[in-house]
Parts: sequence; structure tokens; C-alpha cells
Amino acid sequence: MDLVFRTVYVFALVFVVTRAVGRRELSSMQPFDIILLVVIGDLVQQGVTQSDYSLTGATTVISTIGLLTVFTAWLSYRVRRLRPVLEGEPVVLVSDGRVLERNVQRERMTVEELEAEARLQQISSLDDVRFAVLETNGKISFASR
Amino acid sequence: MRDVFDKLEPEPRGIVVGLWVRRAILTLLGFLVLLAVLNRYGQHPSESVAQVPGATMRLSAPARIRGGLFFQSRVEIRAAQAIDHPRLVLDAGWLEGMQVNSIEPAPVGETTRGGRVVLSYDTLNPGDLLRVWFQFEVNPTNVGRRSYGIELDDAEQPVARIAPTITVLP
Repeated sequence: MDLVFRTVYVFALVFVVTRAVGRRELSSMQPFDIILLVVIGDLVQQGVTQSDYSLTGATTVISTIGLLTVFTAWLSYRVRRLRPVLEGEPVVLVSDGRVLERNVQRERMTVEELEAEARLQQISSLDDVRFAVLETNGKISFASR
Repeated sequence: MRDVFDKLEPEPRGIVVGLWVRRAILTLLGFLVLLAVLNRYGQHPSESVAQVPGATMRLSAPARIRGGLFFQSRVEIRAAQAIDHPRLVLDAGWLEGMQVNSIEPAPVGETTRGGRVVLSYDTLNPGDLLRVWFQFEVNPTNVGRRSYGIELDDAEQPVARIAPTITVLP
């Protein structure tokens, strides 16, 4: 029983932390972030399964995580009002070639980073951008004029 | 030339079957988690009692455990009559594939009788309570069901016995 409760707690904790950290940080991982992710995974394992080496315990934890994942996806699909909380909302960064500084700052991005993302999508200038949107998965989508 | 999309069915049978297979698997996972919530996978202690004129013996121990887990068994003996040489006789399941972390209070003597471990304690007078904590860790390869019986003897004379089993899940 405690195994299920620990899994639910850690699932909620990881969910809250990832939402708080921000999508931009999670989608653009530097080597340090990857190492940190591995360390967090190890700490989570210790908290959830503790000294349990059994297949029964592993099955219980994986089943619980699977069900929680499906449940949050279902909740987000069914309850529109929860969608911003569970998945976040797209943020417009550029509109008609004009950088929306306030939104860019909120996402802890610099204009240089935004320009680099534009270059990666073969856009030479932000003036040519009709819309740049930070999507809920952390990627930036561009629509040219 | 034929359109490449003409070959695609709008709702192939595989998708419908796959959907029901996914739902069946999720239901199965839900059932497994429900069993875990209902303590079917162990570690939650259950209590067994043996009450005889000379003493009352209680054993609190889990009936099911999992490999690697730490767990506790607690034995309480309330003497109704004097027990001059109280001895706890443990079935093999207590120690087979278990790491003994501690036994408190430690027995004054240990020996074996017919393949079972015998722990000796000091004299119990009427009304005395002997409470012994056993702390174990389960060896992960120790899978199966074993006798977890415990007997209270006065020297060689059996006084009370509790005979539960313990199951180590894989």
C-alpha cells in the first residue's frame, strides 16, 4: 500500500517541479541538466522503492505511474479548465515582427536565443516572423509573413 | 495514377482491436494497483494470538513480504504463571534467507533443537511481560512460502504455539 502512495506523491512532486521549472529549461537541455535529470531519477527511485528489489514492487510502481499518466492525460482532455494547469498554454513571443519583451522575459529567454531558434528554422530575421509561439512542449514554432 | 491515400482504410481493424487491448491492459494495471492498496503484496503486519492458562503469546508479523524489504516481527509474552526458563523456538522460515539485523532484547542463550533456533530468556514471573523485537531484511532470492511458527517453551516443555506462514513474493 505504501508503495502506491509513495509513487503517487513522487509523481505529483515531479509534476509540480517540472511545471515550476518551466518548459523552456526542460526542452533545451545542457549537459548539466541531463546529469541533474539522472540524479533526480536516482533520488526518486530511492524514495519510491527504497530497499525493495522485488518484481512485485517494480510492477506496482510502473503500473501506478502508467495509470497516473493516463489519468492526467484524460483529465486534461476532459476538463478544459484544467488544461492550462496540466499542460500549460502556448505563449506568443513575436507578433508581426515585434518581439513581445514581457512574454520573452517571463520565459527567461533572451532575444538572442529567440534569434538563434529562428535561424535554426531558416528564418534570417525576426522582422520576417508573423508569429513565434513557445508551445507547451517547450519548442518554438514560427510562422513567416 | 492512383492516390496513395486510397490504400488506407479510415478505421482499420487493427486500430479498433489495439484500442481494446490497451483498455484491457490498463484495467489489468488498475487491478494490480488495487491489490497493492489492499495490502495483498505484503509488509503490512497481522497479529496472531495463542492464549493458554500459563501465558498469552502475541505475534505481530507480516504474512507477505518482498525481496529486499526491511520488516519487523514482534513477540509479546504475558505470563499468567511463572515460567522459569522461557524459550522461544523459531521455525526455519524465520531465518531461511533472512538477514537478521537485530533481536532486542538479545537472548541470554541461543541453541538449536531439531533444526529450529531456540532463544533463551530470563525467568518470567506471573504478570511479567516479555516483548522481543526482531528486525530483518529479506534476501531477494528467498522466494516462496515457509512456516513462520513460534513456540514458547518452559525449558523443554511447550507452553504455547502460533503457526503462521510467511510468503516472500518475487
